[in-house]
Amino acid sequence: MVQAPPKTEAKLPPSDHIFADIIHRLEAGGSMLPDTPENLMQIIGIYKAYAVPMDFYWRDLLYIAERVFLDPLPFFKYFLPQEYLDLHNHYAGDDADLRIWRGRATAHPELLEFMDKGELKSSLPRLVHHLWHDRINMEFAEACMRAMLWHQGMGGKFNDYLESEEYKANADRAIQAYFQGNPAMLALYKLFPEMFLEQVRQLSYYANLGLFWEVMAPVFFEMSDIYDEGGFKGVPDAMQFLVNGIFAIAGRPIYHHLYIGDQCYEIIPKSKGFTWLYEAALPYVEAVFYRTAPFRGTKSYNAQAKQVPDEQKDFHYGILYADVFPVGTAGIPPTMLMQDMLHFLPPYLVDYYRKYCRGEDDMLIQLGISFQRSMYNVTSAVIQALRQALLYPLDDPNPRHLMANRAFFESQLDRFKRPEARIREIQRQDYR
Amino acid sequence: MLSVLLLAPVIGAGIVGFWPKGKDEQVRGVALTIATAIFLWSIWLLTQFDITSTKLQFSQYLPWAEPIGLSYNIGVDGLSLPLVVLNSILTWIAIYSTKKDIARPRFYYALIFLVNAGVAGSFIAQNLLLFFLFYELELIPLYFLIAIWGGEKRAYAAMKFLLYTALSGILILAGFLGIAWLGNSGTVAWLNHYSAFDYQAIMTKGLSLEEKILLLTVLLVGFGIKIPLVPLHTWLPDAYVEASPPIAILLGGILAKLGAYGLIRFGMQLFPDTWALMAPGLAVIGAFSVVYGALSAIAQKDIKRMVAYSSIGHMGYILVAAASGTPLSLLGAVAQMVSHGLILALLFHLVGIVEIKVGTRELDVLNGLMNPIRGLPLTSALLILGGMASAGIPGLVGFAAEFIVFQGSFSVFPIPTLLCILASGLTAVYFVILLNRTCFGKLDNKLAYYPKVQWDERIPAFVLAVIIFVLGVQPNWLLRWSDTTTTAMVANISLPNAKQIATK
Repeated sequence: MVQAPPKTEAKLPPSDHIFADIIHRLEAGGSMLPDTPENLMQIIGIYKAYAVPMDFYWRDLLYIAERVFLDPLPFFKYFLPQEYLDLHNHYAGDDADLRIWRGRATAHPELLEFMDKGELKSSLPRLVHHLWHDRINMEFAEACMRAMLWHQGMGGKFNDYLESEEYKANADRAIQAYFQGNPAMLALYKLFPEMFLEQVRQLSYYANLGLFWEVMAPVFFEMSDIYDEGGFKGVPDAMQFLVNGIFAIAGRPIYHHLYIGDQCYEIIPKSKGFTWLYEAALPYVEAVFYRTAPFRGTKSYNAQAKQVPDEQKDFHYGILYADVFPVGTAGIPPTMLMQDMLHFLPPYLVDYYRKYCRGEDDMLIQLGISFQRSMYNVTSAVIQALRQALLYPLDDPNPRHLMANRAFFESQLDRFKRPEARIREIQRQDYR
Repeated sequence: MLSVLLLAPVIGAGIVGFWPKGKDEQVRGVALTIATAIFLWSIWLLTQFDITSTKLQFSQYLPWAEPIGLSYNIGVDGLSLPLVVLNSILTWIAIYSTKKDIARPRFYYALIFLVNAGVAGSFIAQNLLLFFLFYELELIPLYFLIAIWGGEKRAYAAMKFLLYTALSGILILAGFLGIAWLGNSGTVAWLNHYSAFDYQAIMTKGLSLEEKILLLTVLLVGFGIKIPLVPLHTWLPDAYVEASPPIAILLGGILAKLGAYGLIRFGMQLFPDTWALMAPGLAVIGAFSVVYGALSAIAQKDIKRMVAYSSIGHMGYILVAAASGTPLSLLGAVAQMVSHGLILALLFHLVGIVEIKVGTRELDVLNGLMNPIRGLPLTSALLILGGMASAGIPGLVGFAAEFIVFQGSFSVFPIPTLLCILASGLTAVYFVILLNRTCFGKLDNKLAYYPKVQWDERIPAFVLAVIIFVLGVQPNWLLRWSDTTTTAMVANISLPNAKQIATK
């Protein structure tokens, strides 16, 4: 059920790429994920399940970047204060900067309910829930942040700015202010200024990712609502919604502010002009979907035997390549995210999973694979958006332009030629 | 009382065999009920058994075909009783672990009951011809069980099994005829001697040494095929591997014991002095089997074949123990027979589950079954337990049995015993290979889509695991039945080099 190719006057010969079918589908305005009702249901359901914990992630990431900051003993950094639960999303709610998605500005009710009662379904003190690990796995968000910090150099100017004198001066001011009246930490700062600076750089990535996800959460909620209302006709519709969203939001500023009381310290001011698409979204997709790092799990990698690539750009441990068994295996630790999503699955997805494999018993894996499918769709949206931004329309009459589009698609799909990539598997419906 | 153990399975075979058509789903339940009844009866026999007596118990005697010396003469002692109980346990396990939708269930379960009757009959027969009759009787149902419900090369394996074991039967018959014939003045007068084949009446004292050596050798080869001893073992890997897991449980768990039992009962006990003469050679053969079995198991790539070869190794211990002929080593031999039967049954059952769920037995393909979500975690855990028991880890029945074998044999045959201990270490090697490749490692969701193991598939494994554990921490419950008998048996043997006989 591939969307009918746009009528073009110029026809290209079939691609001879190993993923020719997928390239033809992309050229026809489709997604890397085949267009089936089952796929649509899976990806939308999982977007919704992802959006709820994401609503926590972005709030907590900003809380850590803006408030916890360099706290040497950040025991309570995952204990989100009410202020941040009530923090208005810039892209949802009535006072939104850009009101294209419905939904509320403050934390999602399902999230609030879960934070209160957790998996145990009882209102115990928050510390008990936390120690019982009955909470949102914020470590997942931090792992994604660290992937972005660690890979760096993925385009954009954000990372270069972190090395600039201006940034260092801003950070220094913030550190001095944060540790005011704390001679011990100030003395340590004097002794190891680079260490503190590096920590602030990491916190800037906290802010970066938080601001990125602040946008994605309402997008995913909106998609779920549209689907529930019978809005999407197929996977390409869902992808196109994302492409439109990307362009609508591309220019949102990326910044890092620190608040000490009411005082705001601008470590990365909005005026620097860092924008959402180039400084957050693309590096995020590159670092988290494609690269990340060999995860310390049950599989060991032998670097001497070249099981880990020499170049960071060749890393392939992201969700697009990951084996999603929730036992801490390769890729971004999907284990924790999968656990988070399990709590917020829409009922239709739960019923669907019950019918397959081991039903309730391996729902974590089934939803992990749905997540993988959905992220192939998000990546498709990014590829289409880049094509739209940098190259030509799909219905361009000029065959040379179409050829350039094809070369672009082929170069993108070359990254999935390695055997670990799950692009072959997600073409099959029985990959669960 | 003992006759029930013969009649019940035969009647049971009749009941399930002629169960009304169209009610296939009931057959299994009926078979299980009968097997449970047989098992409970054998447990009741245990409670009635006098462990202080050296005599045969529950004896029954009925003249049958008197002119040829065949009589219905049955009884048990401490050597055969544990094996009779093992037989009924493993029959129950085999029936329970059979898949529910097995083809031609009536025929299948009827054959299993006939095997059960044949094996039980062999253990309790106290007339040589009666023993032979039962010994041959179980071959036919087993042949069908392998040839109909077996794996890919079942026809080949079944035929090979039949040929080898039939030859074993012929040799044993020849041996028995020789015993009766030569033992009764070497004339045809034995034909008129009604009790010529009754175990208690057998006289081998009158035979010359050459005759005794010849007869014992014939019996040794005959039973050696059944055990099997290297180099008479080549039927075993094919038969065990091609048979479905429940049948492999019967083959390895109890049928092989028939060979070891026959060797002790009719070789050692009928020819005590000759046995002592040949013991060093037997010990060497036993030790060779142990080392050969272990080394071959290490080389295997198929987990079922690995378990099959491990069986050759573990049966070798029994021969070394029997050859040593000390009270302790004989006790160890009986314990090892039971322990090996239980452990092998557990291993075959679990390997069967792995094969059904994963669809392969290849060591190079299997991986990560310990995975808690899509693997077979409990099956893997029990497989580890089985491997540990087989390798003789303390606290499990394998350790108790092997330790007694080693302790009892060392004083008589130190070098073969040491070789056995060494091979015990090799057991750990191949089980570590098996467990490491099969259970550990990373399970990839690209490949793994294994169905869940149902609770009733696990029950046989749990039952066996509990017995293995309980008898491991309390081995006395295994040994008390045989202690008196094995001590009394040894009194007849005088090993030339038995300088010191260990006492318990």
